Amino acid sequence: MTSHFYLFGGPLSRGRLSWIEESLKFYFVKLNPQNLLHNSKPRDSIFTFLLTGDALYSLQNPETIPVWEIILSMPSVKIICDSRELDLRGISIERLKMKNHEQVIDQNSLALNGQPSFWKDVMKFARQHEQPVPSTVGYLQMESPYMHQSAHAALQFLEAGVEGHASVDLYAYLDGVHLGHLGQNPSESENIGKGLEEVNDKAQKRGLSCQMIACGRCAAARGYSTWDDGQGVVISTCSIKPFKIRNLKEMIDMFERNHIILAKDSASIQMKKGGPLASSPPAENGRKPPITLMVTRRPYGTEMAFGAISFAVACAYEGIQTRVIFIEDGVYALMGEHKLDKGTHFFNLQEVVDAVAGSENLQFFVFRPSLAHRGISKNKKLNAVLDIGIPELGQLLFFPPTGVTANHQRVIFF
Amino acid sequence: MTIDPAEIPDFSDLTCTNLMIRLKILLKKSGTDAVVECLVRRDQRDTIDVPFSHSGYEVKIRKLDANRYRVSLKKKDPGPKP
Repeated sequence: MTSHFYLFGGPLSRGRLSWIEESLKFYFVKLNPQNLLHNSKPRDSIFTFLLTGDALYSLQNPETIPVWEIILSMPSVKIICDSRELDLRGISIERLKMKNHEQVIDQNSLALNGQPSFWKDVMKFARQHEQPVPSTVGYLQMESPYMHQSAHAALQFLEAGVEGHASVDLYAYLDGVHLGHLGQNPSESENIGKGLEEVNDKAQKRGLSCQMIACGRCAAARGYSTWDDGQGVVISTCSIKPFKIRNLKEMIDMFERNHIILAKDSASIQMKKGGPLASSPPAENGRKPPITLMVTRRPYGTEMAFGAISFAVACAYEGIQTRVIFIEDGVYALMGEHKLDKGTHFFNLQEVVDAVAGSENLQFFVFRPSLAHRGISKNKKLNAVLDIGIPELGQLLFFPPTGVTANHQRVIFF
Repeated sequence: MTIDPAEIPDFSDLTCTNLMIRLKILLKKSGTDAVVECLVRRDQRDTIDVPFSHSGYEVKIRKLDANRYRVSLKKKDPGPKP
């Protein structure tokens, strides 16, 4: 069985759903036409969409429902909803369920406390590729707690992992480093810092590993007191005990392993065998799961776009095959010619892309339909960023890069 | 040509990833024959040495003190075409 899954917790726009729909069509028509035959329908789902948080609104939004209907008309596509988040938001999914009752699931598995747990369902997918026991699952968190519900989702993911006897990793990047701030004391919300300490304690009692690694650059920028003794050891006096502030390289070292790593908006694509093979036997680097970073936000307004490129450079440097795709509003990073005052500490994103493009293991792409939809074009000087349409996007998502033998590809939306 | 040491940028505050990005931008701007120099920490020295020498640059490193190094990068001469 080939199984791919998407986890969405942020808003799902019609634009995003549409390119996903097109890439699924590409998968079924061009790569796996046998799945379209009625008598060869596999019993298990090939594509599963795990929806929580604001992504659930797309199931009731008249703009996105028609796209979901097309997606659900394809063979073996399933949606699993976070039932508690549906209830919280008062979202009705009856229209979609009526036509596709077997494909749209709004009942979650029961956790040990007897309550339905969407994250227990997520864990079933997150651990399906695992071979060694106990397995590991990882979560990349890029948003701060309390302002963003995703921090709560990250905690629930880790709790579900430990409950399922998996070792857990938390990777705190950008504003995600605030999850580990010491002395959190929210009056109207679950205490994320305390929750992380409890996860760590529970994991230790069960003999499981629990690592919480925060990016040193992101932490230093946000005022976490750090000290470097010249050996790379960084100590913070304002973070909770399990939280380790480390060089980004140490976080990326974890990405070299084969476990599933999810984020608020992310996907795990099982790699199709038969992609382009390297002429020599697979090297050590070939076993590292490749990563595709979707840059979906406008540049400069937030740290997301630069954070993605910086993360990509670090991954590529560690020998991970890395692709960066500018898509949706992320294409604004490539429009016009960006100018920056001399001597500023900030980066001109176009200059960064131009300088690092061509590095070993790193490739840049721009999704042409996103440019066209916004009536803009790519800066002609950025010729290292390749224009792609749906067929190329499908190839990038469903075929492993040359020489890669890992069984899945990580996709993370920035 | 000798560069005035006072003009050499001090990158010791940068993370390894951002140091790579800064250097690649400087090398791109400087053209093929130019030498790019900077001051870095001990751990940053290793970040520069291997990847740049493997990707066609001549890397020279001079120790200034226990945790301070002066690094210079220059594109290697590809030699005469066959």
